[in-house]
Amino acid sequence: MEIGAVIAGLFTLAILTFLYRDNPVYKMAESLLIGVSIGYVLVITWSSTLVDLLFEPLFAQGALSLTLPLLLGLMMFSRFHHRMSFLSRIPIAVMIGSGAGVAIPAMLEQRTLKQMSATVMPLLTTSGRPDPAAIVILAGVLTTLCYFYFSREHKGMLGVAAKIGTYFLMIFFGTTFGYTVMSRMSTFIGRMEFLLTDFLRLTG
Amino acid sequence: MRLQTRHWVFASLFVLIAVVMASGIRLSVPVSPETQRMYDFIDSLPAGAVVLLSFDHEASSLPEIQPITRALLRHCFEHDLRPVGLALLAEGTAIGYRLMQTTAREYGKEYGIDYAYLGFKPQYVAAILSMGESISATFPQDYLGRPYDSLALLHGVENYDDVAAVLSIADGSFTTHWMEYGGRYGVPVIAGVTAAMVTTYDPYLASGQMQAMVGGLRGAAEYEKLLGRKGGGGARGMLAQSAAHLYVILLIILGNVAYFIKRRRSA
Amino acid sequence: MDRKIALVACFAFGVVMFAQYFSAHPVAHQVNQAVLEYWQIIFAFALVLGVVGFCQTNVTQVRKGHDRPYRMAALAGFVAMPLLATFWGIKAGSPFLWMFENVQAPMQSTVFALLAFFVASASFRGFRARSVPATILLASALLILLSRTWIPGSMSNWLPDAADWIRNNPSMAARRAILIGIGLGSLTTSLRVIVGIERTWLGGGK
Repeated sequence: MEIGAVIAGLFTLAILTFLYRDNPVYKMAESLLIGVSIGYVLVITWSSTLVDLLFEPLFAQGALSLTLPLLLGLMMFSRFHHRMSFLSRIPIAVMIGSGAGVAIPAMLEQRTLKQMSATVMPLLTTSGRPDPAAIVILAGVLTTLCYFYFSREHKGMLGVAAKIGTYFLMIFFGTTFGYTVMSRMSTFIGRMEFLLTDFLRLTG
Repeated sequence: MRLQTRHWVFASLFVLIAVVMASGIRLSVPVSPETQRMYDFIDSLPAGAVVLLSFDHEASSLPEIQPITRALLRHCFEHDLRPVGLALLAEGTAIGYRLMQTTAREYGKEYGIDYAYLGFKPQYVAAILSMGESISATFPQDYLGRPYDSLALLHGVENYDDVAAVLSIADGSFTTHWMEYGGRYGVPVIAGVTAAMVTTYDPYLASGQMQAMVGGLRGAAEYEKLLGRKGGGGARGMLAQSAAHLYVILLIILGNVAYFIKRRRSA
Repeated sequence: MDRKIALVACFAFGVVMFAQYFSAHPVAHQVNQAVLEYWQIIFAFALVLGVVGFCQTNVTQVRKGHDRPYRMAALAGFVAMPLLATFWGIKAGSPFLWMFENVQAPMQSTVFALLAFFVASASFRGFRARSVPATILLASALLILLSRTWIPGSMSNWLPDAADWIRNNPSMAARRAILIGIGLGSLTTSLRVIVGIERTWLGGGK
């Protein structure tokens, strides 16, 4: 039996012991997982970003313009010094500002306007009959948006629309729950297949 | 050792899945229009086209995402497309590399000519936008440290204009970012996602911002059927999944029956 | 004063990155490319900062004797990965990848797989048709679960179609409304961050 499969199987069973209750075996496995995960992220970040985008171009190829991001990155570590910790706000400001700037057109165009335009569809088919799908979609979007409008009390027409919006939301949550159950079961089925096939060798 | 109700629920599920999986029975599933749409989309791409494969998932969803990825990669290789892998999540890096390597080996594909793997870049928004300007500037080297220009496959692939599609393999909202930030450059986006994320992306599929989507282990089983492959990871889990669903439905019914009986007694 | 410098920097970069979206000029593209590169590099330093913080916390706790075996296991795992990568690389067949495939990935996916059990338990204990909205939620969940189950007979024809219609129409409509709401909210939050109204990212202190 392959040693990797044995190790993986034992760790899998260690994690599954949590189903009975929290215990030292599970805690030890979990602690090891946390340490290995963080070590993995450090290695991947170092090799794929810091070496690739910064150290090699700056020190091996002489791209002096990269001195600025190097300085900004080093400023992040000023957080460990009480008096100098204010410096760490500047690289954070660069990241936050850049993120906010690129988000505005993306959110406006892709998430809002395109979704709104996709909602506005012909409500009658070419034969003149009502299209139930288009009507349901339009009604669903409008009433759900009414539910999320909290600037006025949900009374009268707004209250009725918000109530209908609630029902649409419940359909969405129920559908999502069904798919989530599917997804979680799939993950466990995958682990069970590993245990039966690679670890215990009961199936082929 | 005190066992509570939940322990019996857990144990029953464990035993049920174990027995069904051990039986080795495989179910054939009908192909849904959604999966057929993905198959037709990949089939419509010209042979030799470059497809960016973004591994935007963590190791936690590997049992579900691996069969989907394998099926889609196999189709890409069978159709002579040239997948270029990358990861926007650190954990997806190693997973993507191994999956591409092992699947490419099945088809005798050569690294650097038929496929490539660029590795990981953090800050997904910056990475997606940066590739729209220049993929070589975003990834000066591939995952193995080879210069971008040294890979024959990547000659002439400068930005999204030179890419036929982006295939996002996701267990979270990263595919949304591909559409929102990559949408600026008009690159077609397709996705292989976990079942839990399917309803999240439905509006994008309906609006045409996403061209096609395959979801969950069932989607993988359907895709394997379209590829004519028996015994794939998706198909093997179908009976177990059906059993698990029936078990959950039974639990819901039992729980509600007990609730209504209790309510009637107290009324 | 330093808060003002940070706010000015946030404003400047926000405006630049917003404005470049509307320009096809080569200089705008160069500025865009440069800022995106800086962003990724700074973010990588932020990740390293988090790692350093993790080490600091665990070493301090080990010295104090709190949960010593567990914290030492975490530190051992953390130290092992860069050591393995340094001496044997990160290619296929390397000990680094072996650790990922046989230690990290199996444990991580098993932690996630635990949710299957908790979902089953929650279905039994918490999923009640207490009200009309709860009943609608329950009914749609049951429909989806049944439609994805192998059921012999005529139900296997209309169930998947009914489930797909529910998913592609009323469910999708609600999700779309949520998306539009989130889009508008993100838009206003981004504007507030750029002009300096939203300052929570600055943190406390002077």
